[in-house]
Amino acid sequence: MNVMMRSLLGVAALALAGAGSAVVAADGPTDADLVNDAASTGDVLTNGMGPRAQRFSPLNEINASNVAKLVPAFSASLGGEKQRGQESQPIVYDGTIYVTGSYSRVFAFDSHTGEEKWEYDARLPDGIMPCCDVVNRGAAIYGDKIIFATLDARLVALNRHTGKVIWNKQIADYQAGYSATAAPLIVKGMVITGNSGGEFGIVGAVEARDVNTGELIWRRPTIEGNMGTLRGKDNGITGKTNASWPGDLWKTGGGATWLGGTYDPETNLIYFGTGNPAPWNSHLRKGDNLYTSSTLALDPDTGVIKWHFQTTPHDGWDFDGVNEFIPFDATVNGKPMKLGAKADRNGYFFVLDRTNGKFISANKFVMKTTWADGFDKNGRPKYIDANRPGAPTAEKGTTVFSSPSFLGGKNWMPMAYSQDTGLFYIPSNDWGMDIWNEPIAYKKGAAYLGAGFTIKPVADDHIGALRAMDPKTGKIVWEYKNKAPLWGGVLTTAGNLVFTGTPEGYLKAFDAKTGTELWKFQTGSGVVGSPITWEQDGEQYVAVMSGWGGAVPLWGGEVAKTFKDINQGGSLWVFKLPK
Amino acid sequence: MLTRRGLLSGLGAASAAALFAARIGAAPLVKVKAIGTLRVALYKDNRPWSWAEGGRILGIDAEIARAIAHKLGVSIDLAEISADESVDDDLRNAVWKGGLLGFQPADIMLHIPFDRTFASRNDQVAIIAPYYRENFQFACRRGEIDCDGSPAAWRGRKLAAELDSIPDFYLIGALGGSLSKDVVHYPTGWDAVSAMVQGSADGVLATRAQIDAGVKGQTLIDRRRMPLPAFTSAGWDIGMAVKENSRTLGDAVEEMVAAMAASGELKSIFAQQGVEWVNAKAAG
Repeated sequence: MNVMMRSLLGVAALALAGAGSAVVAADGPTDADLVNDAASTGDVLTNGMGPRAQRFSPLNEINASNVAKLVPAFSASLGGEKQRGQESQPIVYDGTIYVTGSYSRVFAFDSHTGEEKWEYDARLPDGIMPCCDVVNRGAAIYGDKIIFATLDARLVALNRHTGKVIWNKQIADYQAGYSATAAPLIVKGMVITGNSGGEFGIVGAVEARDVNTGELIWRRPTIEGNMGTLRGKDNGITGKTNASWPGDLWKTGGGATWLGGTYDPETNLIYFGTGNPAPWNSHLRKGDNLYTSSTLALDPDTGVIKWHFQTTPHDGWDFDGVNEFIPFDATVNGKPMKLGAKADRNGYFFVLDRTNGKFISANKFVMKTTWADGFDKNGRPKYIDANRPGAPTAEKGTTVFSSPSFLGGKNWMPMAYSQDTGLFYIPSNDWGMDIWNEPIAYKKGAAYLGAGFTIKPVADDHIGALRAMDPKTGKIVWEYKNKAPLWGGVLTTAGNLVFTGTPEGYLKAFDAKTGTELWKFQTGSGVVGSPITWEQDGEQYVAVMSGWGGAVPLWGGEVAKTFKDINQGGSLWVFKLPK
Repeated sequence: MLTRRGLLSGLGAASAAALFAARIGAAPLVKVKAIGTLRVALYKDNRPWSWAEGGRILGIDAEIARAIAHKLGVSIDLAEISADESVDDDLRNAVWKGGLLGFQPADIMLHIPFDRTFASRNDQVAIIAPYYRENFQFACRRGEIDCDGSPAAWRGRKLAAELDSIPDFYLIGALGGSLSKDVVHYPTGWDAVSAMVQGSADGVLATRAQIDAGVKGQTLIDRRRMPLPAFTSAGWDIGMAVKENSRTLGDAVEEMVAAMAASGELKSIFAQQGVEWVNAKAAG
């Protein structure tokens, strides 16, 4: 784009700014635009449709009374043979829809026609060991850049008009087992990312980089004993060395921050969840193993941990605590409070005071939790000790049934919070696992003491369940049951609607108050992405990625029967009401 | 090779029939010879078996692979594979399916445990040619700790082990966990042995091959001669894997390996790394 056009656009932007909805600046979105994303209906600038990631839109042109008429506007294929899980959430800005695809690809489509503007394919080394398919969960936008993370643990900034690389930084060593799949979070001119690689004895960290150069500003390891940095200088260790870890295990303690984070401008805190501790066998690492399976609140300016809340102390079930922590406000016992909520892999829905991490409540959102019988008033789980998987031995030992399974009551797929209904909509799964010691096991050619497991449904009629949770009472208000496991994100709107996708290939719309299914559309492959909505030329649009994959198809057993007929895919679908 | 035949017959009539059908359908040995290259998967960073140094892959497994290719009259394509969570996963990634990111399956993979239970649950591959008997050993710096003493006496000394391995489980769990604070973790058994040799640990529990190779030329290292109390791993055989329908290749390689064992060629390849060759139990 030439200078003349840029300045013309600048004028247009000024005019539009007066008119309201769409933010289009010549220089692209600013920090203020990102902070305001939840309110600006003409674009989708952040993962979660706002820094708090409530995935709530005030738009109501499409609503419970007319959603049944929703039809496709266009579809755009990601093409090629690389059709794996499409877990991306689209970004919409300035007439363009940006999506990431499996195998670390980025696509820019015209938001009016679906025509491809450009495509970027990261060149990936073949030595990567992604634990759970070759997914990517979305891009970030800032100024003239589209920024995304790659499977070989790089962060790439592309020119949003051309798809050409502006900077490309290695953020971790893929050869040491690190990877990256989450959508980056942008706060105050910094790209803030986590890391993945939970199965390889790594240490989780949150890192902030200059959005314009990719240079590291601060780094905060998630495991106690490890040193943080700020602008190249030591900035204090995380926690207190050996307070909750024996020996030197904190050096390889896990706690990967593989799902990214949310940001609350009001408290100036960013919230990152942390993964399970390593090694997997909890009997080797006595103690709480801080800060694994936790939510951390960090100061975005320095990377210092302001508070933490551990949802699964001394995890022994692979209950990553990475799930998104969504800030919201509510009145509890007559008192207006700044809260946050998280639906954890361990099957409990947590409400915390987001200013200090104080425990408010934890309520079950899945049918069965065998590992604990609720939480006490201090926020500690009431463990059921008999149901902790045993220490590996040379004997097969007894089989323990454990629910949720290690894939979690809720996995990566983000929930939504409606400011209208005051409900959270949780994409959950009712499944458990049989787990036993596997004495005949080998790792890297050497004898090993492993665990064997089989994932099983908990109920006859479903695995997936979209549940409406009242955060004030902890009660499930309604639920929609789905035969196959749910693996896609949720969107809710002021049109009294909740949207989510199913592995069976449908994008579905539900009445936000009652859960009545109002509309569905078959996209041709499983939907494991997160839907969005925005307004364009006076009409409301809904978009979602279709393309079956992710971690679920990697596991067999009874669960696999629910998706054996689902085909691969890779498409963006866009919907609107007919004129 | 009698033991191996017995192992195969134990797999049952149905799978034996399936193997037979697959053998008629495939001629991978012919294919390997026609292409002129044998693609061999080896573990990355698995010293003294296979590791990269100065652009070349070195180690016992690399040399065995080169010898096999040489005897087949083909060139060699050594492909390093990062170990996944289990060897079952490695067989999928390296032998019968390939990697998600384009890793092409190899014709054969070395360093695969030769074990009946393990083989029966990995029926996409044939596990062949057992060539070594491995086990775990304890070694220590002479004068620092008593290698043959009770592990309780090692409290307060640094004990090296590969992270998340049987040695790690043993040392951390032994004696009710009383040594758990003394365990120093390393990414590989080789690194653990090296740490002891360099003096940053007093003892190490690792595989015998890692210790043999790691302490080569060192005189002040002792080995524990008696078994560790309540140590459960009695050792295991190491063989190779070919895709289930590549048995013509597997048979040819098996004959070569048996000849290499008989002629002393295997022994000398092991000796180059300082490792004493012990034939697999299954090789009888």
